[in-house]
Amino acid sequence: MTARGQSVRFAGISRSFGPVRALLTTDLEVSAGEFLTLLGPSGSGKTTLLNIAAGYLEPDTGRVLIGGRDVTDLPPRRRNIGMVFQNYALFPHLSVWENVAYGLRARGVPSAELERRTGAALELVQLAGYGGRAIRQLSGGQQQRVALARALVIEPDVLLMDEPLGALDRQLRQQVQLEIRRLHHAHGRTTIYVTHDQEEALVMSDRIAIMREGRIAQVGGGEELYLRPRRAFVAGFLGESNLLRGTVTATRDGRAVIAVPGLDRPIEGIAADGLAVGGTAAALVRPECVRLTHAPGASLTGQLVERVYLGELVALRLRLPNGLIILCRCLARDGVRGGDMWGVAWEPGDVRILPDDAPPEASTKIVGQ
Amino acid sequence: MRWRPLLFRLAVHGFGSAVLAALLLPILAVVPASLNYGSFISLPPETWSTRWYGRFFADREWLTSLVTSFQVAAIATVVSVVFGTAAALGLIRVGRRLRAALTGLILAPLIVPVIVTAVALYYTSRSWGLTGTVTGLAMAHVLMCLPFVVLNVGVSLGGLDPNWIRAAEGLGASPARVFMTVTLPTILPGLFGGAVFSLMTSFDEVVMSIFLAGIQAKTLPVKMWEVVRLEFTPILSVASTLLIGLTVVMFVLFRLAAARTAAGTETRP
Amino acid sequence: MLTAAASRRLVTGALLVPTVAFLAVAFVVPVGILLKLSLTEPAGPLSTYADILGSWVYTRVFRNTIVLGLMVTAIAVLLGYPTAYMLTRLKGFALTLAVYGVLFPLWISVLIRTFAWILLLEKHGPVNRMLVGTGILDAPAAFLFSNTGVLIGMVHVLLPYAILPIYANMLRIDSRLMLASDGLGASPWRTFRRVYLPLSMPGVGTGAVFVFLLSLGFFITPALLGGANNMTVAMLIENLVNDRLAWPLAAAASFLLLAAVLALLAVTARFVKLDTALEAR
Repeated sequence: MTARGQSVRFAGISRSFGPVRALLTTDLEVSAGEFLTLLGPSGSGKTTLLNIAAGYLEPDTGRVLIGGRDVTDLPPRRRNIGMVFQNYALFPHLSVWENVAYGLRARGVPSAELERRTGAALELVQLAGYGGRAIRQLSGGQQQRVALARALVIEPDVLLMDEPLGALDRQLRQQVQLEIRRLHHAHGRTTIYVTHDQEEALVMSDRIAIMREGRIAQVGGGEELYLRPRRAFVAGFLGESNLLRGTVTATRDGRAVIAVPGLDRPIEGIAADGLAVGGTAAALVRPECVRLTHAPGASLTGQLVERVYLGELVALRLRLPNGLIILCRCLARDGVRGGDMWGVAWEPGDVRILPDDAPPEASTKIVGQ
Repeated sequence: MRWRPLLFRLAVHGFGSAVLAALLLPILAVVPASLNYGSFISLPPETWSTRWYGRFFADREWLTSLVTSFQVAAIATVVSVVFGTAAALGLIRVGRRLRAALTGLILAPLIVPVIVTAVALYYTSRSWGLTGTVTGLAMAHVLMCLPFVVLNVGVSLGGLDPNWIRAAEGLGASPARVFMTVTLPTILPGLFGGAVFSLMTSFDEVVMSIFLAGIQAKTLPVKMWEVVRLEFTPILSVASTLLIGLTVVMFVLFRLAAARTAAGTETRP
Repeated sequence: MLTAAASRRLVTGALLVPTVAFLAVAFVVPVGILLKLSLTEPAGPLSTYADILGSWVYTRVFRNTIVLGLMVTAIAVLLGYPTAYMLTRLKGFALTLAVYGVLFPLWISVLIRTFAWILLLEKHGPVNRMLVGTGILDAPAAFLFSNTGVLIGMVHVLLPYAILPIYANMLRIDSRLMLASDGLGASPWRTFRRVYLPLSMPGVGTGAVFVFLLSLGFFITPALLGGANNMTVAMLIENLVNDRLAWPLAAAASFLLLAAVLALLAVTARFVKLDTALEAR
């Protein structure tokens, strides 16, 4: 794979809509050829940031640089971007071919080259031979690919995609995710991809920027974000998690201890940045890190309340003495069955103590609520 | 037991069909009336003839009025379509309150009784030297045509996905190219429908025309109005029949455009 | 260089200014001048209005116009309601044909529609011949230059404006409600009276207001089909302008008419959707 796009840099970008601060001051660098996903719940500012990159929105403050060139004051047509919209925004009155050729005609590309490049773009998305079709004759997945071809044919410096799979059903979505990934390897263009679907982000991205309430909570590779989240929100948003909330009682040598109300045993784990003794924090234990032991002799016991068979895994829910629910995933063949009371344990190395900024609903629920 | 609903249905359909017939058939009375031979209209004609059509086209005054009607309608339509399309495009770009206010202003000439507008225009255009001119008449007609262009173009603009514009911009199209390749094709049916409706509205307009036409700019309806108050000659029926023929053509064109608009608004996801 | 927001505003302005300027010059200003004319008589600012409202002759014209309008409205609604109901029962080609049957007359010049009725209602015209021939009348009736003629002509011209809003409203009535009423043991008449009729009243209201509003300003049809006793406000205004050159009085009569229209619109604004009625064409 060779990088053929340009780097994108957001420097001090912010944007408000009336009283609503959609985007707080944000800095972000996307390197050339990188596939970066803006992941976050709706209203987190991810689409605002994308539209600022495209030039459909002007930032209140800050600059946007594409390939080192300041494009902040340029209209979209001068930015050389390829945009794929959530509803594709294909021109219904034009054929598939004319949709794809649109950007080339706007650029005054000579007809021989236009023919060649349009044909190649349709081939790339495996729609060669569909050029004469009307848009409404295509399936949702095919329309999605036409939108992609239309954005790619102009050889954009950066490809921008705004929840492009939102309109597809689940099965097709998984297929197209891999397709987009394959295409990214083939075209190698810098891509900024917006979604609220964590699985989509994990499958496709080189890096993911998790956004929340108008700011970027953390940027990193999928594995890094999953294994080493820096905030409880990130941990709660990406994957399933047990977040045990409490008060920091001690920090030393990169480790921290918190006291969780209702648990007689403090929890120790690897400390994230920004912890202070006496402050609130959450202990993150991923469900697959929870081990179940036979109850007698365990220091922490839980009552099994639910067991869901998922094939190779079973998902278990256990209620701790203080009412907290702990999620646990283990291999089905390890055979956690029968029995009511289980010892709950984990390795201290699998626990991370994070500053608690997550809304309660994103974390472990308390029984009885 | 089933005879009561059946009877009810029969009654409703019988009544409704009769009302529809009463709406349509009387209009057609002018057609046989135009085919009378004698100078007085009798229905049905005692002797059938097309000689009054010959009279119509040989009469300078009738012909002049027909030409004037076309001139006025053409000017009124062009002005209405250009202004109205621009206004419809502008209306979707402003805030809700300004849009409501401007829409009210544009629709006002349809709400104010036309006799009031006619008298107001007559009074002012005398001092502006616009009575008895094709221009003055056309401008008055624009008041009645413009709202329909704005409404029709507005409806087809409803089928325009703002993302199409953004997509075209992103693909490098200049504002002019975006308009020609995306906006215009989308609103074309509405624009066409508005144009057809304008043409017909102007062609049919009587009340303002009576006041503003003077001697110089008599349109066909003004000429008909003058004649009908004096005598009922078959030549009036000829003029009416010709106007109905034109209306049928315009109506069909408008329905086609409306069907295109409906198809356009449906394709949007 | 202009910022994007500024150039956007500039384009918006360029799109709207021609129409606004045109309407200001060709509509608002003339109507304003006429209003000023009605208010600037030497005898006092409101003397023209006092003249009209104080004169038995003029108020009778206003009363006539209102009574005529109410009659036209009542007849149009009574004829239009079952017709609109029939439209809701039609499908496919029959529906298209019937809807066009309602729409098409709106495209025909009022002058032609009125002229057609002159031909039909003449003393020796087809209507009289049929009525006498079938024995309903002993002698031809004088439909023309009478209230009957004006009523027939105006109902004919305005009927589509009653049918269309009622039809549009009936289409929105959920037919399952009728089934529910039926299932609860109500007779068809009771179902109609207690369910269908109340639900279709907004359409009836819109149609009635629309017909009445238009009838208030009617000129061509009463002028051609009516006699001297059937003068409407519009005819009075024309008469004041063209025959009596009484401009200030004509202006005052115009604004009394306009005031009536606007007052009615203001009162009924809550349930009358004017633009839907306009788009119906």
